[in-house]
Amino acid sequence: MTIDRTMIEPLLEIKNLSVSLKKRDNISVAVDDLSLNLYPGEILGLVGESGAGKSMTGSAILGLIESPLYISAGTISLQGRSIIEAPENIRGSQISMIFQDPLVSLNPLKTIGEQLIKTIKTHFNISKAEALDRSKKLLSDVGIDPERIEAYPHTFSGGMRQRVVIALALAPEPSVIIADEPTTALDVSVQAQILNLLKQLCTERGTSIILITHDMGVISETTDRVAVLYSGRLVEIGKTSDVLQRPQHPYTAGLVASTPNIDPSSFDKKLFQIPGAMPDIDDVPDGCAFHPRCEHARDKCQKHRPPLFDARVSCWLSEKPGGTL
Amino acid sequence: MERFFRSDFFYHFRHAPVAIVSFVTIILIILAAIFANFIAPTNPFDPASLNLMNGFTPPLEANEFTGERFLLGTDDQGRDLFSTILYGLRISLFVGLMAVLLAMVMGVLLGLIAGFLGGWIDSVIMRFADIQMTFPSILVAMLIYGVARGILPPEVRYEMSIVVLIISIGLSEWVPFARTVRGSTLVEKEKEYVTAAKMIGLTRQQIMLRHILPNVLSPVLVIATITFALAIIAEATLSFLGVGVPSTKPSLGTLIRIGQDFLFSGEWWILLFPAVTLLALALSINLFGDWLRDILNPKLK
Amino acid sequence: MTFIILNRLFQAVLVLLFVALISFLIFRFVGNPVENLMGQEATLAQRAALEEALGLNDPIHIQYFDFLWKAVRFDFGNSYRGALPVAELIASRLPATLELALTSALFAVIFGVFMGIYTAINRGSVITNFILSSSLIGVSLPTFLIGILLIWLFSVELNWLPSFGRGEVVDLGWWKTGFLSESGLKSLVLPAITLGLYQMTLIMRLTRSEMLEVLRQDYIRLARALGLTNKAVYFFHALPNILIPVITIGGLQLGSVIAFAIITETVFQWPGVGLLFINAVYFVDIPVMSAYLLLVGFAFVLINLIVDLSYFFIDPRLRDSELKDEA
Repeated sequence: MTIDRTMIEPLLEIKNLSVSLKKRDNISVAVDDLSLNLYPGEILGLVGESGAGKSMTGSAILGLIESPLYISAGTISLQGRSIIEAPENIRGSQISMIFQDPLVSLNPLKTIGEQLIKTIKTHFNISKAEALDRSKKLLSDVGIDPERIEAYPHTFSGGMRQRVVIALALAPEPSVIIADEPTTALDVSVQAQILNLLKQLCTERGTSIILITHDMGVISETTDRVAVLYSGRLVEIGKTSDVLQRPQHPYTAGLVASTPNIDPSSFDKKLFQIPGAMPDIDDVPDGCAFHPRCEHARDKCQKHRPPLFDARVSCWLSEKPGGTL
Repeated sequence: MERFFRSDFFYHFRHAPVAIVSFVTIILIILAAIFANFIAPTNPFDPASLNLMNGFTPPLEANEFTGERFLLGTDDQGRDLFSTILYGLRISLFVGLMAVLLAMVMGVLLGLIAGFLGGWIDSVIMRFADIQMTFPSILVAMLIYGVARGILPPEVRYEMSIVVLIISIGLSEWVPFARTVRGSTLVEKEKEYVTAAKMIGLTRQQIMLRHILPNVLSPVLVIATITFALAIIAEATLSFLGVGVPSTKPSLGTLIRIGQDFLFSGEWWILLFPAVTLLALALSINLFGDWLRDILNPKLK
Repeated sequence: MTFIILNRLFQAVLVLLFVALISFLIFRFVGNPVENLMGQEATLAQRAALEEALGLNDPIHIQYFDFLWKAVRFDFGNSYRGALPVAELIASRLPATLELALTSALFAVIFGVFMGIYTAINRGSVITNFILSSSLIGVSLPTFLIGILLIWLFSVELNWLPSFGRGEVVDLGWWKTGFLSESGLKSLVLPAITLGLYQMTLIMRLTRSEMLEVLRQDYIRLARALGLTNKAVYFFHALPNILIPVITIGGLQLGSVIAFAIITETVFQWPGVGLLFINAVYFVDIPVMSAYLLLVGFAFVLINLIVDLSYFFIDPRLRDSELKDEA
């Protein structure tokens, strides 16, 4: 994947999105002025610690955010048309979503066939027999014996259930799938299978993926581009190889350095840790949200919030050419 | 941390008015019942003070024969309704309170024994509790009432009816106490202080009553409040059905029963005032019990 | 699965035998059967003869089995009042109670589930808040007060509905029903509401809290993310998942409805077994009390059994786990 996708029209465009939390008198911001583009056919990773606003961004795109959270600013448009006013029109048909835990993502009292057929018939005006055929086709696509279409979810393992969930997400033939930590709850040995399956099926269909994860390993193996989030803000975005090999934001650098490496030469080295913890959303410091934990922090970082320089990194160090780490 | 404190404070503030109003209502009603003989203008239980001519006097109006006025009117026998309600409250509250005490003592003791001794004693007690719980307590109370009346010789049935009523309601409400205390006892008896008490040679009774009992009492308080409301309603229901206290010493339920007979003839006050009193009492105790449960154990909600 | 059904049946029979034991002990030892049947004037010889005839001199367990054997054949002896067979008394009044209980249970379940779902889906709306706060008062209101309130409003003030009795009943030979006449149906309205209101409140609150819980589940989020309509989310996904707790409580409530019918029947002078029972308590008519206990015990055990077994038809997980146990 070496094509420069930024030359093409974006499929999904998020501009200045803010999600806020209203709690009695004070309002805190969970996703803060976030702008992102997703291009046709690409896999975009959203990475960050829990609470950084990754999942919230995913839910916001589908309009699945519930009170006391609400979208306080920004626009989201798909193929140039705003979807923020009536997100229910694009759910499934244009954008669908996969959640973290496959054990609770399926209705325990309905067979997987019933759930697939219900989803298909919601989006396509076809007969039940046709829907059944499509369901079987989808099951065999995700590597499940179509004969098991009348089985209940509890008869499948976690990995198999996530395959069913992927089949469900693909059923309405969306152009984007948002995968929210799709492998976190699975055994390590199954994780790679599921990711590869997801990647393969989406490539075949030309479906774009937004992959939400906290796992830098998953990012490096799966995604074309990656966006790093910290305290609800975009801190760095770019081609995955660029970002991971030459991180420009100190936080990204810290994340990369703190990822365990199976390279035997690194065995006796102590794993890097970023000092401190990400602030609560109602306690975000002025200026750059990362400055209290940043060894390069200067006065300016405490007072002024850095903009995104070169469409790549939000850090004052990158303000002028040569300001690298 | 500060946020947590603030939210908790807010929670209490929001819920306190209900708790305060219901608590004050309960206290006022209890005081009115205790001091009934000072507040009430007449003693409705004293047949000598009754004048049948005063019957059916509407509230605040003058009786057409005697010219007497009554705050809440009179009933069919000429009893001043205000006084009758106050004295009736006394009986309702007394029966409710004694029934709760009986249920509590019985439930706590059986729960302690079941939890502490375990084995077949535990099985027998809890199995019995399970079966009793499948029947609504009002039905159990009616059955016990009927059986007790059957056992008593006919000549004492009448005067014993309040005692029989207390026993019936008490025996029908012990199970929740026993279940809760048994559960807490099972937890407490594994703790170190019980082992220590055993080692210094205290007897089982001493350990149960002096060491475990004080540690399992706070949920008992909540159940007692709720049971109190249930017992008052049970008493009113039984008396309303005519199997409770005798009509010469009417409780709120008896008064409502009498009042219902005059609903069609337009003497609404005979029914309305006792009904409102009962409702206020039951509602206040329920609301206060809810609040107490939230404060003592937020998880129970 | 047959094993489980047999196991539940066995337990049910045990509980029933226990209830029958209590019923027997009441029948045998409360009051004096001989006294009640013969009165004061009977001679000692007559009494002894009756005692022998009634089997009162047999060993106690024989008497218990005798009691059971008779109960199975609906022989509960004669009422102390009027000397009619208890079984006949109960049989003549059972249709009235069953029709009342069934109507009010249907009312409670239908409205309770509907309002529970409504208040869960429309959280915070004006109607929801109104329903919820009036249900709080409803729970505190004793059944008999609800009945009186309804009589006052609909019979005394508005004069729309009758305040007592069953109205005109149609005799089907084996069953006297009030369902088939206008006055019978009209008479049913107020008692059925009175009896069902409290259960309806309970079922509504339960349905609501279960619904709120289910709507938080991930499969509901997934269903929404996949673009399913609200109707599909609520009725295809959520509703089946709240069925188990609602059936459990609903079933147990049906049992309480039978017991609480005593109160409603008294308020409305409804000629059912509840009224029969309360009169038996008042006049210490032991055979009637004992038979009533047995009848209600049987109804409760039967309902519990049906509730237990219904789980297996709703939840595939249970069905499978039991199958595995059996294997």
